[in-house]
Amino acid sequence: MSYFDHNATTPIHPLVLNKMSSTSEACFGNPSSIHTSGRKAKSLIESSRRVIAKALQASTNEIIFTGSGTEANNSVLWSLIYEKNKHVITSSIEHPAILKVLDTLSLFGVSYTKLPVNKFGEVNPQNLEESITDNTGLISIMMINNEVGTINPIKDLIKVAKEKNIPFHSDAVQTIGKIPLSVKNIQADYLSFSGHKFYGPKGVGFLYKKKKSKLNPLIIGGGQEGQFRAGTENISGIVGLAEAVRLSIENLDNRILHLEKLESEFKDKLLHHSPNVIFNGHPEKHAPGVISASFIGKRSDILLAELDREGIEVSSGSACGSGSVKPSFVLEEMGIPENQNTSTIRISFGRSNSIKDVSILVKALVKFTNV
Amino acid sequence: MSDTIIVGMSGGVDSSVTAKILKDQGYNVECVFMKNWEGDPENCNAEEDYKDALSVCDHLDIPLRSVNFSNEYWNKVFQHFIDEYAKGRTPNPDVLCNREVKFKAFLNYAFDLGAVKIATGHYAQINQLENEFELLKGLDKNKDQSYFLYLLGQNELSKSLFPIGNIDKIKVRKLAEGSGLINYAKKDSTGVCFIGEQKFFKDFLKKYIPVKPGLIQTVDGKICGEHDGLMYYTMGQRKGLGIGGGHGFKEAPWFVADKDLDHNILIVAQGHDHSSLFHQGLEADQIHWINETPTSSLENISAKIRYRQDDQSCKITELSKNSCKVIFKDPQFAITPGQSIVFYVDNKCLGGAIIDKRF
Repeated sequence: MSYFDHNATTPIHPLVLNKMSSTSEACFGNPSSIHTSGRKAKSLIESSRRVIAKALQASTNEIIFTGSGTEANNSVLWSLIYEKNKHVITSSIEHPAILKVLDTLSLFGVSYTKLPVNKFGEVNPQNLEESITDNTGLISIMMINNEVGTINPIKDLIKVAKEKNIPFHSDAVQTIGKIPLSVKNIQADYLSFSGHKFYGPKGVGFLYKKKKSKLNPLIIGGGQEGQFRAGTENISGIVGLAEAVRLSIENLDNRILHLEKLESEFKDKLLHHSPNVIFNGHPEKHAPGVISASFIGKRSDILLAELDREGIEVSSGSACGSGSVKPSFVLEEMGIPENQNTSTIRISFGRSNSIKDVSILVKALVKFTNV
Repeated sequence: MSDTIIVGMSGGVDSSVTAKILKDQGYNVECVFMKNWEGDPENCNAEEDYKDALSVCDHLDIPLRSVNFSNEYWNKVFQHFIDEYAKGRTPNPDVLCNREVKFKAFLNYAFDLGAVKIATGHYAQINQLENEFELLKGLDKNKDQSYFLYLLGQNELSKSLFPIGNIDKIKVRKLAEGSGLINYAKKDSTGVCFIGEQKFFKDFLKKYIPVKPGLIQTVDGKICGEHDGLMYYTMGQRKGLGIGGGHGFKEAPWFVADKDLDHNILIVAQGHDHSSLFHQGLEADQIHWINETPTSSLENISAKIRYRQDDQSCKITELSKNSCKVIFKDPQFAITPGQSIVFYVDNKCLGGAIIDKRF
């Protein structure tokens, strides 16, 4: 099997798996218990928190473990229903874990403005500035788009938010292991992350929340995670998550180099054999190893099936949206015509892909698209 | 590599066993799950059905793909369904779904995916002669679904397989259980697929067609109640009329005998055997023949005017390119405009037409 769908999810790193299984074996205590087993569990969670905080240059009390990136997004958005200013500014190409939540929140008095994107998928900071109203209580704009890999000018966007003193959230689930990330440098109020996007376990994520930024908890109960997220902690998941963060950050330069090498090799080879292929997204400002490629005249659902038969796994649009031949709304928002949209696939390379895999992929793509 | 056959997989026991049989026969089998309806998740079981399909395909080690034909379904099947109800007729969306979605959109899709044939879990059989294909009833007379397939033509039949058409349902379930398929005991689907249970029917139609209440009259012209809108009733219907004994009438139940569309009146008759509920003949149009057009003198012809009805002896008295007149040997209960009349000689399905009038 050749797997090129790392934006959907990644296989668990063997070192992460080791840590998780030894944790599951050795540590069953409830971290809220005060006896030895409980303290041992609690201590593992806190050391995990330190690892993550250090990797992102955050403080330990700024890391809140959640059940997913989606939950981290939901926490930040739902928090607004308790606030006076209920207007949100977001972008038109956010993941449904933002856009659908905002639709639901409209039942609770929250309104929102969706900023358009340019043909590369970028939000214009000036548009953001012009959309801010007296009632704006949150800006939520993704850092890297999951479908096309375009990196938003996040620092410029945050600068606009800071000037108007509006809290800024970014869905950053596609960042770790692909771009350098320091919360000190970015200055966002909230950032959402998901373990399985960077060789960690599924079912666990975290929210970075800047110390003074306000958050009303979404999940209420036993007061875990400093009252911000109740529920007995997923200890082995958290330990695995921290290990995955550590490995991603420690090996970041190598990982980026590797992804860039695969990407350029892939694009060169493919262009050589299929000069009509079109690459979507920003040519430079995009996550390494993420390629949105259109083969006009070849429907993506058919191409996906043909590749699948050869053991080659890629995706069309976002993974959550697959299973239908509907055009991708992200590509629509970028102004890409429908015939190009419905013949687009996403390739997202990962750490275990090799140059040999690239050859296999290109060969198959050429075979199925040059008809 | 062996030939690829693509199975239309609903997540039900019939299509699952279809896939299993073909796989055992050595074909390269793939399944496609069709999503033909958007919205109304409380009525539509598509998500649960998809999970069953996935589990079955995983168990059989068959790739499952999915496709969304909700546009095709909406434009080609549902609009017609609503138009017919708005006219007070009782359409049969499954017949159209087969022609427009399963044996057109899906068939084309499967061939785009590289299939040499498609297969479905219908209880019907295809008989290949030298130069043509015949549609035969399923072996299980109780489950025979040829009634829903009469709109297929030579092209569709030549590209399709019905692997369970020669097996009876009890055996299909046994095969499913024996192969460890999780859905071996799953209930057969009933009712209109996008509405679900019958009790949702009224609320569903209300969303799409304006409600026009009116009076209920007996066949003798006596007013005996009020109806909620003619579209909610079908010929021969007994339940839901809201007229019991009382009203100075004797106790026998009431049945819908007719609809006066011009005056928006529902006409009812008392007692199942009331003569106004029976007609000797009908006129039908939108005729379709699977093989050559039969001559009107054709002997031994019989027909079904509803699914699962026993074959009724009849004669086609007038026949043109698009329409026909049919006289039955025995008077027929509740002949329903909008439903299909499907013709047979023994177990061979000849084709059919849409009932327009009765007489």
